[in-house]
Amino acid sequence: MKRCFAAACAGLLLSAAAAAGGVAGFTADAQQSRLEFVGVQAGAEFKGVFHKFSAVVDFAPDALQSSHLDVQIDMNSVDSKDSDRDKTMRGPDVFDVAQSPTAHYATKTISKTAGGFSAVGALTLRGVTKDVPIDFQFAPGPGGATLSGSAKLKRLDFGVGRGEWKSTEWVEDAVKINFSLVLKPKS
Amino acid sequence: MPNENSAKRYGVVAQGLHWIIAALIVTQFTLGWLADDLPLGMRRLGLLARHKSFGMTVLMLAVLRLLWRLFNRPPELPAGMTKTEMFLARATHIAFYVLLFAMPFTGWTMSSAKNYSVSWFGLFTWPNLIAPNEHAFDLLRSTHHLLSDALLALAILHILAALKHHFWNKDDVLIRMVPFTKSEGRK
Repeated sequence: MKRCFAAACAGLLLSAAAAAGGVAGFTADAQQSRLEFVGVQAGAEFKGVFHKFSAVVDFAPDALQSSHLDVQIDMNSVDSKDSDRDKTMRGPDVFDVAQSPTAHYATKTISKTAGGFSAVGALTLRGVTKDVPIDFQFAPGPGGATLSGSAKLKRLDFGVGRGEWKSTEWVEDAVKINFSLVLKPKS
Repeated sequence: MPNENSAKRYGVVAQGLHWIIAALIVTQFTLGWLADDLPLGMRRLGLLARHKSFGMTVLMLAVLRLLWRLFNRPPELPAGMTKTEMFLARATHIAFYVLLFAMPFTGWTMSSAKNYSVSWFGLFTWPNLIAPNEHAFDLLRSTHHLLSDALLALAILHILAALKHHFWNKDDVLIRMVPFTKSEGRK
């Protein structure tokens, strides 16, 4: 009887928390998380990563209204395993890190899908803000959770590629983003 | 004209492979030289995209050519050649075969090392042979250049020898590799 009461009580508390937007707060573990982009040069894909980014995630699968993802990316930390290309990407014609050192992504709405979740968020890149949808999966685990997914965007929507890099003849407009965030509870 | 080689003349297949590969190699040198000193940009990407596609074509043709050579005895060398001349002729031809494979392979590995995967005319992408590594790239690039110098020297030697056979010795060594000609009347 006592135990039943405790369970009911916990249930009440949980639903109260959900009603009040009770979501779990996380931050991404910088060492274990990964943010990758896949571009296409001359018909062949190439991958690069951003080594430095921070993510704040408030998420509960049953409280999507109050769930939220916020990611800050240090554009200078781009690494495509070729220093010439990285230098070009940091330069004024591509990311222009001198003027726009960080990119920012913040979700506006999150909804449930058959395979996980999808969100629409505002991406600010090179000073241009546009909505970019993402698909992701959320898996709670011991001591945190993992959030992994992907997005597609067009680089020229954000002016990424000026001068000769505006051409899509040898560098495609479409870019894929893959991310895998290892989340720890906010301290 | 028979497809196979005879004791006197190269057949259609051997002639075809010889001249197609020769034309591709001239194209390769031109594209390589044009791209070599350019900074990273659309023009460099475009030239190198074609250089890689043609280079992989040479590799595929080199496989066919080697197989054809192994199962199709080439015409006899003309009588009257000294042992040294025969040795030089054989050594040159063997070196050509080695370079027909070594050039594309060092180029392909170079692309892998710099994380620029090789596409074949945008139709499909060849797998990377090694993981991205800038030190390996520098080494492979020097090797690719060195081998191209060797190939150029060898080609000059080969052309001069063929002309010497044709105009000095007045034998059929050049003419038997030339389509739509007849070897009769020559030694």
